[in-house]
Amino acid sequence: MKVLVTVKEVAAVEDEFEIDGTAIDEAYLEYDLNEWDDYAIEEGVQISESEDDVEVVSVTIGPERSEETIRMALAKGADRAVRVWDDSLEDAEMLDVEAKTNLLAAVVEEEEPDLVLSGVQADDDGFGATGVSLADEVGFEWAAVVNDLELDVEGGVASVRRELEGGVEELTDVDLPAVLTIQTGINEPRYASLRGIRQAQRKEIKPMTLDDLGLSADVAESDLEIVDMYEPETESDATLFEGSPDETAGQLAEVLRDGGVGQ
Amino acid sequence: MDFTSEQEAVRDVVREFAVEELRPVAAECDAEQAFPEDVWDDLADMDLTGLTVPEGYGGYDADPVTYALINEELAYGMLSVATALSVHGLATSCIAEFGSEDVKDEWLPEMATGRPVGAFALSEPQAGSNPAEMSTVARRDGDEFVVDGTKQWITNGKRSDVVILFAKTDRDDPGSVTQFLVPKDTDGVSVGKKEDKLGLRASDTTSLEFDGARIPAEYQLTEEGRGLSAAFSILTGGRIAIGAQSVGLAQSALDAALEYSQEREQFDQPISDIQTIRHKLADMQTKVQAGRLLTYDAARKKASGDPQATAMAASQAKLFSSESAIEVANEAVQIHGGYGYTTDFPVERLYRDAKILTIYEGTSEIQKKIIARHLLD
Repeated sequence: MKVLVTVKEVAAVEDEFEIDGTAIDEAYLEYDLNEWDDYAIEEGVQISESEDDVEVVSVTIGPERSEETIRMALAKGADRAVRVWDDSLEDAEMLDVEAKTNLLAAVVEEEEPDLVLSGVQADDDGFGATGVSLADEVGFEWAAVVNDLELDVEGGVASVRRELEGGVEELTDVDLPAVLTIQTGINEPRYASLRGIRQAQRKEIKPMTLDDLGLSADVAESDLEIVDMYEPETESDATLFEGSPDETAGQLAEVLRDGGVGQ
Repeated sequence: MDFTSEQEAVRDVVREFAVEELRPVAAECDAEQAFPEDVWDDLADMDLTGLTVPEGYGGYDADPVTYALINEELAYGMLSVATALSVHGLATSCIAEFGSEDVKDEWLPEMATGRPVGAFALSEPQAGSNPAEMSTVARRDGDEFVVDGTKQWITNGKRSDVVILFAKTDRDDPGSVTQFLVPKDTDGVSVGKKEDKLGLRASDTTSLEFDGARIPAEYQLTEEGRGLSAAFSILTGGRIAIGAQSVGLAQSALDAALEYSQEREQFDQPISDIQTIRHKLADMQTKVQAGRLLTYDAARKKASGDPQATAMAASQAKLFSSESAIEVANEAVQIHGGYGYTTDFPVERLYRDAKILTIYEGTSEIQKKIIARHLLD
């Protein structure tokens, strides 16, 4: 069985930052593994630990810098990795859901995984759509916002629990091959071990260009255009309660009552 | 500083672990004088308990620079845990370097997985800076040695399962100090009182009593009389680790002071806008970075395999970084004012913890003696 885990290196913004045109100034960005993808990696590695003959392949779309991030997936137990990048991607202002879908679909065709695990969303641009869009493109079954997974490898079925709005949960059986978008909390991501980190230095990260994937440069073209980037006005309306715990509890109760929270 | 991608990845993971898993429990462990055993098991899962165990025995066999990075980052989270781990590392270093194949096979694979926990027993009530004055004796009796004596200031004293012991084979010969391995469950080995300390309170420090304790002769690690030189060579690496821990603790105090000084307002401005506070922060940063450079210089010298240059550099790193850690922690408390004197802020504990750094594994005075000897003799 082969599990493909998509990971993304996301940009985290420092507390104080400046906007440069329609983007945040590079000087204020730090890069890290997308939080949701960390759970997807852990889920993939746990599958490989509990089932026989499972290969976990991690794939990312990103420049050479992102190897540091994808190597952490290898350190945590992924067997090998694929990194898709190309000069024409470097030049694109943004990679939208369609572009990422087409890039990842080409990787899925190449790798032919039985299961694709993807984070629910990326912490930076937050489209939250790539996983499901990928399933649609490659004709896989799919389930989004999965917070529990039981895999029947023999039967080719993933029994998943999905988190819906308003605290409702849904149990669904999904036939493989499938794409599951993984919600935080589905597991407890491990810290990479030192020997895992050492082994990861020797594991393969295969670079793939658009040519390698049989795609042309127009894959990065987008119908979307970022027209503005700004910080929304924020209003701070804090009430500070003073006094003994008894007094402050009373004051809090009053605010809640006035706000219609309690009766 | 140039680190390999493997060293950077190790540093990043250990730092994340220190911030996420050590920091949140540090105050409680300090207050209760309790070592966080579940954290130790996490360290083992990450292979950190096998840092000085060769790869062939299931260890990570960290290079000296990586070893320093790990000590710095763990101490950034909690000094007591970094200390306990570095003492475990001293014990596995001794077994790896001096043990026979049988002894290594018996102990190292399991110690690499975290348990048995190791301890290192060199100091005695009347023999601290001058270990040659020790009075613990290991007398040969057929296929065994019989150990009698008392060891003092033993980190992991109660929680350890195996002790690297230094003892004379001839009571009257100061040159007969030899290194042994003593399983803690040996008859005649008992744990003395737990010390009630100024800082490092989560670390388990006790005395150890040896009363006619019989160990098999194969647990003699060094040749007779070679115990002290062995101890000193192992402690050179230990001093780099203490230098690194000092840097980690000082960085933690500096970060706390930086954060507080930008939030705390007096005279209608954050106190970080006041020049006297800014100068304090500048001094603290410079001391931390100078200590870091000395520490990694010593680690690189050790990696390049020059024992003489390493010994001097290790002493300089430990001397400067540990004294700086006290100064930086002191100023961090000062910047916090009255709040810094309470347990509501972490700098209070850092201030108490810092003092041990200028004492254990060779006091600052002993480090100066070593540095001067390299300069003059």
